[in-house]
Formats: sequence, structure tokens, C-alpha cells
Amino acid sequence: MSDNVDNIIEIERVSKRFGRVVALDDVSLTVKRGEVVVIIGPSGSGKSTLLRCINHLESVDSGRIVVDGIPLTEAKNIDKVRAEVGMVFQSFNLFPHLTALENITLAQRVVRKRSQKEAEEIAHQLLAKVGIPEKANAYPGQLSGGQQQRVAIARALAMQPKIMLFDEPTSALDPEMIKEVLDVMLDLAREGMTMVVVSHEMGFVKAAAKRIFFMCDGRIIEETTPDSLSLAACKEERTRQFLSKILI
Amino acid sequence: MTPDEIRIKRITITATEEVKPLWERIDRWWLLFFAVLLITSLLILYRPDPYGRIFVFLQDGIRVTMSITVVSFLLILLVGLIGGLGRIAKNPLIKGIASIYVEIIRGIPLLVQLLFIYYASPILLRDFGTKLIGLWPSMANRLINIKLNPFGAAVAGLTICYGAYMSEIFRAGIESIPKGQMEAARSLGMSYFQAMRYVILPQAVRVILPPVGNEFVALLKDSSLVSVVAVADMTRRGREFMASTFLALETWMMVALLYLVMTLFLSRIVAYLERKTSFVR
Ligand SMILES: Nc1ncnc2c1ncn2[C@@H]1O[C@H](COP(=O)(O)OP(=O)(O)OP(=O)(O)O)[C@@H](O)[C@H]1O
Ligand SMILES: [Mg+2]
Repeated sequence: MSDNVDNIIEIERVSKRFGRVVALDDVSLTVKRGEVVVIIGPSGSGKSTLLRCINHLESVDSGRIVVDGIPLTEAKNIDKVRAEVGMVFQSFNLFPHLTALENITLAQRVVRKRSQKEAEEIAHQLLAKVGIPEKANAYPGQLSGGQQQRVAIARALAMQPKIMLFDEPTSALDPEMIKEVLDVMLDLAREGMTMVVVSHEMGFVKAAAKRIFFMCDGRIIEETTPDSLSLAACKEERTRQFLSKILI
Repeated sequence: MTPDEIRIKRITITATEEVKPLWERIDRWWLLFFAVLLITSLLILYRPDPYGRIFVFLQDGIRVTMSITVVSFLLILLVGLIGGLGRIAKNPLIKGIASIYVEIIRGIPLLVQLLFIYYASPILLRDFGTKLIGLWPSMANRLINIKLNPFGAAVAGLTICYGAYMSEIFRAGIESIPKGQMEAARSLGMSYFQAMRYVILPQAVRVILPPVGNEFVALLKDSSLVSVVAVADMTRRGREFMASTFLALETWMMVALLYLVMTLFLSRIVAYLERKTSFVR
């Protein structure tokens, strides 16, 4: 499977523990170019850890991760991979001392070495794309949660990543703001962005996901598609239990 | 919040800003500073003998005290930054060295450190030089004939001592920034040092500004200790004046007032910067 050029992410038999806690237990997963993959599962099942391993915010104990043909082993590869992978966090993690515009231009200038002018042009385009062109000069503290998360998405997109990782991007948001963020994500999915999304927003999952993975106790216990996403179709008892809570 | 609530909140905020009289907005501690400044000036102008004489005699010392404080402080900031980064380093060797430095230096009184550097370290260097004479004669001779410059020794002593405390301030400041900030920066492809420089430190500066400012004021006062290592700072000049005139009360009154003028002024500047740079998270 490792020679397939269609696979942009290849995770092979990855394990990761934190002290005594086994966060990932022999996880394998491949994601194809342009595919939207959703990971769901109960709290503590290792979803975030899996996502964070893909851009090496966590190191793996064993197993192998290859992103766009680059193995995540040496330090210099890690920076290369991070430049290709954008990440959106549950808590936004915008830089509070910088304006929305500066949040989006900073990494463009210091990592991509773009000029101030070019970086700002790109930032303005992206702010328009996520629907808040008028907030360029606002500080994160002056934005609503939904607006902050959209700036965070624009910030990641400014690096022109090939892959976007989303870790529960809407779970810290008030209900009326969830849609504005999901809409941006749906647009991205339609444009053919490769996305790995941890989310329990079933509307988004059904509209955008190609494949859905259930995680439990650090393992992927089941794989399905949005079409066959129903209680009856799931083989595993624990998946059914979990689904019964999130499906309406 | 509904748009209405937001509007009401905005109105109340602007209202309170407008209603507040000038008297409320200025920092009233400035009055204490001006009072002390006034008393000192009046003493110098209207009682030139002895206060004017003392002031003239102390002038060189004031300059030395100021330059020692400023030069040391710049070096202390550098040591504090390096030490603070060392304390949070992943590399156990770097972390170990930084931690041992901080723990040892914090356990020795500043006065003893100054005496050690000025009087004891040349002996150590000379001993080391005699051992080195066969191996590297030119270096050995340099060490044997070493003569410490009092100003340099004082700056070194203050920097080493205060650098340890400053390292702890920097460490705490950096650690107070949520982990997600470093992760967001790294996930955008920034290196550790780029993330520190552009994301973490600019935020940490706002956190550490008050304690760093307090260190500066404390340093100004502690610089009086360098008078024991032959530096002619304000305190030493005061002692010299007293020795020749026996005007103990007047001399130390003047010295105390001059320190007070400087520290009260600096404290107000620190308080001002603190208010200026606070921001909503
Ligand atoms: N830095 C860490 N140190 C120690 N344990 C950790 C750390 N990060 C995660 N864990 C543990 O690893 C396990 C998996 O955590 P992870 O955050 O990946 O779960 P999750 O599926 O994302 O959960 P949630 O839905 O609550 O976000 C949990 O038991 C968690 O406590
Ligand atoms: Mg999580």
C-alpha cells in the first residue's frame, strides 16, 4: 500500500502511549488525495492524538506515517510536512497580540518568505473567502467564536496546504455560529481539499465525508460511509451505542 | 449578546470614559514623586550648605549608579532570556546547566557574590594561570597579571546574580502562554525559535513586564552594594563625603532622597507601561 501515489496520508500500525494511557493502539489508515475523512468516537478514544501525529505535534512510539510521500522521521522532514498540512484547533489558538490580518500574514512572511504586500493580498482574499473581509484589523478578542475560527481556517489556508486537519472545529462554538464555520469547511471540501476532520456534526459528516472511521480506546474499530451511516448497519456494539447518542 | 446589549455596553463604556475627571485618570502616586523631588530641590537650592555641597560631591556617583544599573540591566535581560529558555529546554544538558545556575546563584547573597568576584576570583584565575604556564604561556601570563576593573566586576556580579532571578521571571512568563499558541505556530511550519520570537515572547513580554520593572527598581537600589568593590557610586561617594565632613545626618538624608527620587520615578514608569500594554485575551 505504501507505493500508491494516490494516497496522500499513509498511517501504518501506529501506536502511542502517554505514560500508562494507550492513546493509539496499532492504528492504520490511508487517505486519498482530495478525500474528506471523518473520525468520530467517544472522548479519550485518541482522535486528537491521531490528528496531531499527522503533523507531528505528537511523536509516535512505533509505526510509520508518510505524508505526501514524505516519511515523518527526520527533523527536516517534519518542517516540510508541517508546511503542507494545515491544522484547525478546537480552541482556535489565534495569536491574541496580532490582528486577524497579521495572524494570517505572519507565517506567510517568516516561513514562506513572502513580501508583506503579497502576504496581505492573500490574507484579504482569504478573509473574503471565509466571509469576514471587514474584520481584517480586528484583534481576536474583538471577534466572536465563529469569526475567530474562520480566521484560524484562513490562517491555515494561507500556507496553501495540501491537507487540512480539523480537530472538533465547532465544539467550542455557540449553536448559531456552528453553521458559518461548517459552510466554510463544506466549500473547501467541494474544492477538492484533502481533509481529515474530527467532528460529531452529523450534517457536515453526511454532506462532505467520503469515509467515516469510529475510534474507541485508541483503535479504529469500524469504517463506514455516510450512505450506510445508521445504527442497524454498524457491526460493532460500541459503535451503535455511541451513534445512538449523536444521531437524531 | 444581542446587538442591543452590545450597543448598551459600548455606550456605558464610552460614558464612563468621558465622565471621569482628569483628577481620577492621572496616577496619584506621581504626587509623591513630585513632593520628594520638590523637597530635594528645595534643600539643594535654599540650603546650599551643606545640601548643595553634598549634591555636587555626589554628582559623579549618581552618574556611576545610573550607568551601572542600565548596563547591568541590559545584560541581565539577555542572561534572563537565555536562562529562561534554557530552563524550559527539552535537552536535559541545557536544562540542567540552566537550573543549576539558577539554584546556586539564588542561594548566595549578592554582597557575598560581589566580594567573591572582586577579591576571590582573581586569586582563582592566578592559580589557574600558574598551572597553565607550561601549556599555553601567553594565556597563562594574562591570567596571572589579571587586574579586575571595579566597574566590570560590579556589572558582572550584578548580572550573574540578577540574571538568575530574571531567568525565573522569563521562564514563568513563557510558561504562562497557553500551549496551543506554540502548537499553532509550529503547525504553520514555524521553527521553535521563530515561534518564540514572533508568537510566544511578544505575549510573554506583557506578562513579565511588571516583575521585570520591579527588578529594575530593585537593581537600582542593590547597586549601592557595589560600593564595597571600589566602585565610586552614589553610596560610596556619600561615605567619602561623610568621612571628611562628619555630616552623617545631612549626607545620608541627601543620598536617601536621591535614591527615592529615582525609584519613585521608575515605579511610575513601570506602572504606566503595565497599563499601556495590557490587552484582552
Ligand atoms: N499530552 C498528554 N499527556 C497525557 N495523556 C494524554 C495527552 N494527550 C492525550 N492524552 C490521553 O490520551 C488519550 C486520548 O486522548 P485524545 O485527546 O486523543 O482523545 P480524543 O478522542 O481527542 O478525546 P476528546 O473527544 O475528549 O477530545 C486520553 O486518555 C487522554 O487522556
Ligand atoms: Mg480531542
